[in-house]
Amino acid sequence: MTESNPKTISKSKSPKEEDVRIGLYICNCGINIGGVLEMDDMIEFGKTLPNVTLCKKYKFYCSDNGQAEIAKDIKDGLINRVVVAACSPRMHEPTFRRVLKSNGLNPFYFAQANIREHATWVNMYDHEGAQRIAKDHIRMQVAKVRKLKALETIKVKVKPSTLIIGAGIAGMNSALDLADQGFKVYLIEREPTIGGHMAQLDKTFPTMDCSSCILTPKMVDVSRNPNIHIMAYSEVEKVDGYIGNFEVKIKHKAHYIDQLKCTACGACVDSCPVICANDFDLNMGPRKAIYIPFPQAVPGQYTIDIDHCIKCGNCASPSICEPGAIIYDEEDHYSTLKVGTIIVSTGFDQIDPTNLKNYGYGKYENVINGLEMERNLSSTGPNLGKPVCPSNGKPPHSVAWLQCVGSRDNREGYHPYCSRVCCMYAIKQARQYKEKHPEAECYIFYMDIRAFGKGYEEFYESSSHDFGIKYMRGRLAEIYENPDKTLLLRGEDTFLSQPIAINVDLVVLSTGVEARTDATNVATMLGIQQTSDGFFMEAHPKLRPLDSLTAGIFMAGVAQGPKDIPDTVSQAKGAASGAAILMAKGEVEVDPYYAVVYPNLCSGCRSCINLCPYSAITFDESHKVAYINPIMCHGCGTCVASCPSNAIEQNHFSGDQLMTIITDVLGGLY
Amino acid sequence: MEKITPNIIFNISNDISDEIIKDEALRIMKACFQCGTCTGSCPSGRRTAIRTRQIMRKAVLSLDEVLSDEDIWLCSTCYTCYERCPRNIPVTDVIIKLRNLATQRGFIKPAHQKVTQVLADTGHGVPLGITKNSEENQWSKARESYGLSKIPPTTHSHPEAVLEIQKLMQLTNFDKLVKLEFKSINEGKK
Ligand SMILES: Cc1cc2nc3c(=O)[nH]c(=O)nc-3n(C[C@H](O)[C@H](O)[C@H](O)COP(=O)(O)OP(=O)(O)OC[C@H]3O[C@@H](n4cnc5c(N)ncnc54)[C@H](O)[C@@H]3O)c2cc1C
Ligand code: SF4
Ligand code: SF4
Ligand code: SF4
Ligand code: SF4
Repeated sequence: MTESNPKTISKSKSPKEEDVRIGLYICNCGINIGGVLEMDDMIEFGKTLPNVTLCKKYKFYCSDNGQAEIAKDIKDGLINRVVVAACSPRMHEPTFRRVLKSNGLNPFYFAQANIREHATWVNMYDHEGAQRIAKDHIRMQVAKVRKLKALETIKVKVKPSTLIIGAGIAGMNSALDLADQGFKVYLIEREPTIGGHMAQLDKTFPTMDCSSCILTPKMVDVSRNPNIHIMAYSEVEKVDGYIGNFEVKIKHKAHYIDQLKCTACGACVDSCPVICANDFDLNMGPRKAIYIPFPQAVPGQYTIDIDHCIKCGNCASPSICEPGAIIYDEEDHYSTLKVGTIIVSTGFDQIDPTNLKNYGYGKYENVINGLEMERNLSSTGPNLGKPVCPSNGKPPHSVAWLQCVGSRDNREGYHPYCSRVCCMYAIKQARQYKEKHPEAECYIFYMDIRAFGKGYEEFYESSSHDFGIKYMRGRLAEIYENPDKTLLLRGEDTFLSQPIAINVDLVVLSTGVEARTDATNVATMLGIQQTSDGFFMEAHPKLRPLDSLTAGIFMAGVAQGPKDIPDTVSQAKGAASGAAILMAKGEVEVDPYYAVVYPNLCSGCRSCINLCPYSAITFDESHKVAYINPIMCHGCGTCVASCPSNAIEQNHFSGDQLMTIITDVLGGLY
Repeated sequence: MEKITPNIIFNISNDISDEIIKDEALRIMKACFQCGTCTGSCPSGRRTAIRTRQIMRKAVLSLDEVLSDEDIWLCSTCYTCYERCPRNIPVTDVIIKLRNLATQRGFIKPAHQKVTQVLADTGHGVPLGITKNSEENQWSKARESYGLSKIPPTTHSHPEAVLEIQKLMQLTNFDKLVKLEFKSINEGKK
């Protein structure tokens, strides 16, 4: 680490340019680049650039042979800087930097021109245009590399503890894997219980195991693990710091019940006179104002729903709550944690179909959504596992499921993506209903049945031939309510090319999943990105699917994109492994792209100090100059641009380097 | 041995679809995934033979029959399918485009040809049925009952403007496209 006495640094001069000998390597990337560019012309062009000592081409510079060629030129003393013109540096910058480092060159004497994504891919049909753009990219990186300075990476220690945000099946699995390896885990859950959506499901496709039976033992494992600290009914307020050393502020919402005193005896529930809607049952059933969400909830302590509580005092009477746990005036409180890594597993919201007026959800009593059906089928749900029509409380004789509600819909407010679980859960629910009522008619209106997982196609096939579920191909057009509250469905049977109309008793909209409404807040707080669909963005969709672009932060489960439980659990294990690798190593190297104050130029005006979004700048009273903590600095450049004395320079992006790039590329136009 | 007609082989080209997507807003029609929402929503299809989804399919595959069949003329342009298409395809606009193409290629129903002739003669697709000098009829009475002038301020009040309409039809070659015969307005008055 280059933490040095500010007195000793001075604005270093660029190295003498006549000593710079650049090796320029232009990669064909198979035909990705070679198939579009005139490579011989590129080589001739490369040779004309200032300080380029040699210019070569090869089919794949990232291959062992390609790397060996660069290594040899360095070892032979022919070159002391390297430019590779190839793909995006995101993937292979570390590869080539390693080549420099292991052959005795400073790894930061390297630049990569992205002539694939930025030139040949976007101009696949305009070869001349691609050629021109590729040349400009190369011209810029050669200019940059002439001015680069040697830098040393910073090493930071990684605390052996993880913050997991969201305790659904994803967060719980990551927690167990990390805790079992000996790392400390703080598992934050905003609801009073852990478990997430899986706790609301009845059975799970395709094996039809009872969801609670496989979930609750895990919940108990989590609660018993000495390395896991569950913080239920809590939310993350603020995250500061950086990989290895995050500082997290947590808000603990008031339960209005002392969680340490409450023995979970449940005596208070009977004493409570308030009956309100049970949100765990999607408001279809009742609960008291003092409650636990469901019998197997973890932690098992009670919570008062203060919005509904009338503070009658019944539950607080010593004859009811013997330990005296009730505190009506309890307030939210806060705590801070220091952790080395973070996993985000905040899951999903169900798509709200209310605005799809042609389906009448929210208007017609007998139109319900997928999760509501799930609660109806559950033996712990509002109808004790016997689904009924909300209009008359009788079991429906005919039920229709409508697929892709809110998914695969490009219209404003809905989602182009496939939600990946609704086909399978509709089949599962229809089968469950048929098991209970073999005489019932079950229809599934679909566009394609997506039964992609292990055992899924077999499950789908059996549902029609063993259970007689009728598959109707066609996205339903509209629903009308008959005077007796049954429903008239209109659509097209696309196999018959025939408009059809069918009467049914109950309709289940197979609503898909979408990013949490507060996903943007969570992303902003953590400094991670979202893809256009709102889910959290992975660093690379194929090769780093669980890393965020912010080092030390991982993601798992539906928070990253729609998926079923098997895929969620796999991701959870992967994210735990990503975090464990960093913590097991104990320290990581980070790129030294921090900003540096030149004390001899700093006038001590302090204007930069409050501008830094990461609080990385302090004032050194003894020397009366600003000082930037290299580890806390994120390299955003705000202070650099703001300094009236031009006293701050950002490593690897200095004014001198940027100006040279601009001058060279503009010069190239004339 | 009897010959077997290879009736399963049909000609798929881009001839019609390329014409349609010259209008950038209609390009998305190629994304139709044949969900059937349009057919299921179509009020006309409940009484007539129009199968909107099949029109879209034939248009994407450029099957000539989409222009020669009468289905495209059975759409009432109610725009229900347009509003509901989950792929955001302006379905009704595609059908209107198909009608233009059909007409250009000589597929037009006699009744529609007659409407264009009425338009050329009177300046109205649905004329009032009277002129400045003639008797009043139920429409003019209805207009008066709403406090409107008996004759609307259109070509009915300005018969000379019909000539301008005819000129426009000539300049755009519409007259040749639908084979119009121009009776001059003065002739009509005789
Ligand atoms: C109707 C329906 C039926 C389904 N049936 C099946 C099935 O049979 N089989 C199958 O494999 N899959 C099924 N699925 C999919 C399954 O539900 C998901 O794959 C799984 O629940 C995803 O788990 P998760 O942990 O990623 O998210 P979640 O279950 O959503 O858990 C996320 C947790 O994070 C918490 N949280 C969210 N935001 C915050 C925050 N800011 N701070 C703190 N905590 C937060 C939430 O309260 C929640 O507890 C079904 C889905 C639906 C909608
Ligand atoms: S999983 Fe099935 S119902 Fe859900 S969006 Fe995908 S195709 Fe539609
Ligand atoms: S570059 Fe950005 S993060 Fe670094 S000290 Fe300056 S303002 Fe702070
Ligand atoms: S509604 Fe749209 S996507 Fe569906 S069949 Fe009709 S045109 Fe195609
Ligand atoms: S616009 Fe035409 S095709 Fe579409 S629903 Fe209306 S009548 Fe049918």
